[in-house]
Amino acid sequence: MKNIKSFIERHKLQVAIFGIFLTLWLIFYIVNPYAFSNPYTYTALLSVTPFTILPALGLTYIIIATEVDLSFSSIMAVGAMTFAYIWQDTGSALLGVIALLVVGLIAGAFNGILIAKLKVPSLIGTIGTMFFWRGIVLVVTGGYGMSLHKIENTYVQKIFVGTFLGIPSQFIWTVLITIVFWLILNRHKFGAYVYYIGDNRLAAKMVGINTERTLLYIFSLEGMIAAFAGFLVALSLGTVWPALGDIYMLKSIAAVVIGGTPLTGGVGTIFGTFMGGLMLDLIETGILAIGVSGFWIKVVDGVVIVIALIAQALIREGELAKIRRKKEALAKE
Amino acid sequence: MVEESYVIYAKNIVKRFGNIVALNNVTFKLRKKEIVGVVGDNGAGKSTLMKILFGIHKPDRGELYIKGKLYPELTPKKAYELGIVLIHQERTLCPHHSVWRNIFMARELTGRFGFLKIDEMKKRSEKALQELGLISRIESVDTPANYLSGGYQQGVQISRALVFDADVVILDEPTNALSLKEVQKVLEYVKQLKERGKSGIMISHNIYHVYPVVDRFVILNKGMVVGEFWKKDLNLEDLSHIMLSIAETGKIPPEYSKINLAEKPDSKEVEIK
Ligand SMILES: Nc1ncnc2c1ncn2[C@@H]1O[C@H](COP(=O)(O)OP(=O)(O)O)[C@@H](O)[C@H]1O
Ligand SMILES: [Mg+2]
Repeated sequence: MKNIKSFIERHKLQVAIFGIFLTLWLIFYIVNPYAFSNPYTYTALLSVTPFTILPALGLTYIIIATEVDLSFSSIMAVGAMTFAYIWQDTGSALLGVIALLVVGLIAGAFNGILIAKLKVPSLIGTIGTMFFWRGIVLVVTGGYGMSLHKIENTYVQKIFVGTFLGIPSQFIWTVLITIVFWLILNRHKFGAYVYYIGDNRLAAKMVGINTERTLLYIFSLEGMIAAFAGFLVALSLGTVWPALGDIYMLKSIAAVVIGGTPLTGGVGTIFGTFMGGLMLDLIETGILAIGVSGFWIKVVDGVVIVIALIAQALIREGELAKIRRKKEALAKE
Repeated sequence: MVEESYVIYAKNIVKRFGNIVALNNVTFKLRKKEIVGVVGDNGAGKSTLMKILFGIHKPDRGELYIKGKLYPELTPKKAYELGIVLIHQERTLCPHHSVWRNIFMARELTGRFGFLKIDEMKKRSEKALQELGLISRIESVDTPANYLSGGYQQGVQISRALVFDADVVILDEPTNALSLKEVQKVLEYVKQLKERGKSGIMISHNIYHVYPVVDRFVILNKGMVVGEFWKKDLNLEDLSHIMLSIAETGKIPPEYSKINLAEKPDSKEVEIK
């Protein structure tokens, strides 16, 4: 019991987001118990939420490091397109996957160089690369979509977007990748540097952390995972279209922020981001399942984002008050 | 080669920041098992010199020998590997992160594939803070740094030197923001460095903190070494007299010329017993 209490004490933000998630689910369940006891509703949720969560994982690192990346939405399309071309031209899906990861990595590294080495502010720099990569997709495809329907029922499709024990494969991949991101952030030296350069970049530099290289790696990682997410989107829908990824730009950033990673950086969690992404897609699935107009999605999104941010602000205010009390107690000693 | 007999030998260092000449042809030496005090007014160039010895700044001119080897491109990472730790004058803490993470920042203990040895780091952090006598009953090494008072925060910074058992410990104004009791702890720590065969550089503009713990003084003024004295040649009053004179006239009173190593380049290589 005491352990549970101290666990909640230490992970207030994560507990809060989990609570908001459960509340939302309960509301949906009460409004439409039929839909929300149907496994298909959950399969639908789990098959789309990876597209929000995956780019948000890399974005969590970037935002913890007090930077931002808007270009990942375009890199998603670049990844999907790269796969489509390589697979069409060579017939090798494996080669296609390797190529899309490499291209994603390069696109991400390009952001990294702009921001870490050339000191371009990330907001501006990645708006630039967002347009650049979207433009490249439009130029290369001529603005037309590319069908991937021939890939249906191949092993690639089964591995990445099939089902395993009734669970969408892409969700299983997402859970595995989330665990890796969690491990790196919390248990690895690299994750520690991500936190430090967000919490006090000058200090990190002065004690000898290579902040430029760390940033370069963070952006490269985001490029790679965004390209992979774009590939999953294309594979599951059987088509690559020029605007692919667009809708995830604000959604994935929202997932990170709802999950308790403030834009001021220094802190943040992978678990929060995962729940944040899942929650945004629960809202979409839930509203469609209830049967009201899809226009309501944005309204509920907005309400949930505001509630989550208020909860976070209250929790942080509570922490600050605790710090003040501790310091006062120390001063008296 | 004379450079080889020193742990650190910085020769004719020049460092500019735009129009400011922070260091103007400074030569600085540190021997094994020696504690050197670097004193001088604010802006004299003390911190800049230390940042050069630690690889944060690259000198515009001059040579840097460490343990007898020339390092034209020293980085903090390399400096750590060579056993040098610099405790900065500025707070270099991550406010939202725990005491143990702050202590091991940039020098994490890792196992296979770079994964953190968290328990080991916590244990060593506790030990270091206890040795410094700076850990209070209500703080744990899991406490975020911004929960700590100024004195504890400084204690966390100094613990960084303790946990690594560095060969050369550079303390830049370590006694700032500390209470009297805490200052004593830090001075004790500096003193025992020598007994453990280590070298140290102690910086402070408070000569009462430097005098008791060092073997030699280097006095910087406006980016230049104006004085260098063995402690045995000088008592605290002399030093205070010299510092006052530098503050007022920029010069060291002539009666100290004979013992000023900075004015007698030839006799500077005398080894200490
Ligand atoms: N990073 C920097 N950029 C510009 N000027 C600097 C920088 N660091 C130090 N200075 C300048 O160099 C001079 C020496 O500073 P510093 O080494 O911090 O002196 P001290 O530590 O003796 O007080 C000062 O005039 C200071 O303003
Ligand atoms: Mg200084």
